[in-house]
Amino acid sequence: MTEQAILEAVQDIFRDNFDDDSLVITRDTCADDIEDWDSLEQINLLTAIEKKFQIKFKLADVRGLKNVGDLLDLVKRMVG
Amino acid sequence: MAYTYLITGATSDVGTTLIPRLLNDAPADTLVLAQGCGDLDKLAPLVQRYPGQVCPFDVDLSDRHKVDAFVRLLEQTAPAPTHFVHLPALPVVNTRFKNFDEQRFSRDLEIQLNSAIAICRVFVPKMAKAGFGRVLFIQTSYTIGCPPKNTAAYVIAKSAIGGLVKSLAVEYAPKHVTVNCVAPSMMETHFLKDTPDLIVQAAAADNPMGRNATPEDVVPAMAFLLSEEAGFITGVTLPITGGSAIV
Repeated sequence: MTEQAILEAVQDIFRDNFDDDSLVITRDTCADDIEDWDSLEQINLLTAIEKKFQIKFKLADVRGLKNVGDLLDLVKRMVG
Repeated sequence: MAYTYLITGATSDVGTTLIPRLLNDAPADTLVLAQGCGDLDKLAPLVQRYPGQVCPFDVDLSDRHKVDAFVRLLEQTAPAPTHFVHLPALPVVNTRFKNFDEQRFSRDLEIQLNSAIAICRVFVPKMAKAGFGRVLFIQTSYTIGCPPKNTAAYVIAKSAIGGLVKSLAVEYAPKHVTVNCVAPSMMETHFLKDTPDLIVQAAAADNPMGRNATPEDVVPAMAFLLSEEAGFITGVTLPITGGSAIV
């Protein structure tokens, strides 16, 4: 799966979670850029991503994520 | 005195762990009146293991009329409870306060609080008259200190239970009826079915003992608070948290 395809799928999840169809994310997007992106929303995003890509995150995998780029790299590693 | 335990939410993981703890080595006339709702099959192994000692009741505690009918049925057909253990609650939902579900909260209050009040109003005075009684609730460590965000409905309902415990404790202490609660940290049971696994993992990682609670951690403390020897302990909230919440 290409990074672009992962990004598009993750962006759909972000748009759905934050209820904003115009939301555009990049590798540099982080929690400071989206007002409602707090710890609960982080869990909601990760849970939705797990479901979409049929993967299961471990806490250690996700605790160090700094931005969308880190998240995309993690998903790419897990989906192969 | 033959003990009769009334346990609501008896089909929960805590309930099915507590019942054997109470009945093992107990006199043969010890009775457990065990309430569940649509899931009495979970009590089947205990009914078989303790013939005649575990009496299951299928009651929807969110329906006041059914609670009242249940209480009347118990009054007419069973010995007056010497012990009342109230365990039921709707599972925790992690959500922002702006998405607070008032309808679900009302249902949870019926199950957790109002059913307990209705049952206590009938049976606690009977315990007082008998000069002995134990009432025990299950609260949560979320009510100790700073609660986690996004759990308002759960924290509010459990805090109300805390108020009930303290109020009953002072009123019935002279009659040797004790009223207490245990307050476990996150406990890995079926109750967490709606909680994302990452939240469960995070709670375990943040606990000083490096894991979440189990029913086996909590039940011995419950058994102690229900025992005769705990007769001078009332009105307490006992944290069972591995150190994650300390009074």
